Amino acid sequence: MGKELEYQVVVVGGGPGGLAAAMTCARAGLSTLLLERGRFAGAKNLFGGVVYTESILSLVPDLFSEKRLPFERPVTEEGWWLLSEKGVVKLTHTEAERMEGPPRAYTAFRARFDPWLAQKAKEAGVLLVPKTKVIDLLKEEGQVKGVVVDRPRDWEDQEPAVVRAPVVILSEGVNRLLAQKAGLIDRDFKPQEVALSVKEVVQLPKGEVEKRLGLKENQGLAVELLGEATLGLPGSGFLYTNTTTVSLGVGLFLSDFAQKGIKPYELLENLKRHPVLARILEGGETLEYGAHLIPEWGLEGLPKLSAPGVMVVGDAAGLVNPLFREGTNLAIYSGIMAGKAAVAAHEKGHFGSSSLALYEETLKSSYIYRDLQYFRKLKRYLQENRAWFDTYPQLFNQVLGLYLSAQGRAKEEVFREISKLIRQRRGMVNLLKDALKAFKLFKGW
Amino acid sequence: MKPLPKVNIDDKVFTLKYYVDEEFVHLKIKDPRVCKECLEKPCLSFCPVGVYRLDRQGNITVGYQACVECGSCRVACPFLNIEWHYPRGGYGVAYKFG
Repeated sequence: MGKELEYQVVVVGGGPGGLAAAMTCARAGLSTLLLERGRFAGAKNLFGGVVYTESILSLVPDLFSEKRLPFERPVTEEGWWLLSEKGVVKLTHTEAERMEGPPRAYTAFRARFDPWLAQKAKEAGVLLVPKTKVIDLLKEEGQVKGVVVDRPRDWEDQEPAVVRAPVVILSEGVNRLLAQKAGLIDRDFKPQEVALSVKEVVQLPKGEVEKRLGLKENQGLAVELLGEATLGLPGSGFLYTNTTTVSLGVGLFLSDFAQKGIKPYELLENLKRHPVLARILEGGETLEYGAHLIPEWGLEGLPKLSAPGVMVVGDAAGLVNPLFREGTNLAIYSGIMAGKAAVAAHEKGHFGSSSLALYEETLKSSYIYRDLQYFRKLKRYLQENRAWFDTYPQLFNQVLGLYLSAQGRAKEEVFREISKLIRQRRGMVNLLKDALKAFKLFKGW
Repeated sequence: MKPLPKVNIDDKVFTLKYYVDEEFVHLKIKDPRVCKECLEKPCLSFCPVGVYRLDRQGNITVGYQACVECGSCRVACPFLNIEWHYPRGGYGVAYKFG
């Protein structure tokens, strides 16, 4: 790196948010530098595994003319599996129409999807520099004016290099250290504000993904696993089908791992040994294990989205909706919005607080912010209403088990047994209370 | 809570690809005395790749080479006793799938 590098925009982090922001800027003709600390964009990234077509189309409109799509399988069946210790109640949806036409969701791997998107960014004119960590922000007169990286200035001068830019877009991921340095938020997140998820990619014998999950070649399953998957604790597991592998994972609030002394990989192993999943995974080989934090601080932990010279997008801002499995798409949308604000600021030649506040305004009038408001009580709800993760999945299994094996018995007795079970496990009053509380949550009250 | 099946975490870590930085230890215990007095030692459990282990003398050892840079220990250490950095650019974990 030379002595005084200067760009019109510097983006920190080559995930979907950063790539979206950088592409938006480069396409508008701004000189755009994207710094990625990994060996390539995506090297440090891991997610459960579903991306949404619409968000990708907003960046790559000719997606479907690609020779090889950067995905695994279209998602044609999705929903929930409620696990008891030995059993499962499957609640999934699929329909003929989802099999035809362009799929609205795909399973994917980040270490493959992100490099593909990075290639598109390069084609748009983004200068992508990997293996470079941003260690600090350059601040002058209360305004962010660039970044400091962990590479020396040149052969003679071993001091960290400085890259100047009137706009810095932070897409640094869940560990939002630079956003804190920028003064966008004054505190670190707490263990109860993030979920820790672990996942394994398991290779199955040829043809077995289809056979074991009832799929055809161009079909895919994406299910969330509740109940026994998390030992009844708030959180969920997931099973997503890839081309020849499946992604199986599980996540809890980090605070629950810490307080209860649960080892994440043992929780995952417990899930792998569940009879229903063991059958699916039989003879499989783990190709990769990994872990990642999911920001679930929601509205109450939302940083300021912009300050003079700087904006924050994606996971770093906490733009995730765990209930609807949104994250990658929100990173892309917020990246585009920040990119547009950067372009507008350059047009005006003004980078103070009011210019970049356009990003904040756009995001706050979008569905992303509406959802953050709507589900502002979600985290507390999940932590306080553990019955959804513990009692109910078990109860569903027991009730259906009884109902479906009622042949050869007086049905009145069967129903009496069922209602006794419900009364014992939860009680009618609590049942109504739970229903009311869930109704309130989904009404956004 | 029911007992969970034992897992040798090294078998899982073995599936991961790393570019280990021998010259920069990116995770350090700030003050080992704090760990000695920490009763729960939750880092021994929550770290998804078992970076933190107990040696025979009861000291916590830090196997930073296995770190997947998730950030859990940075915030979940009850005494915030971890000096946490990302590895230098280009080093650390490199997912093949992710």
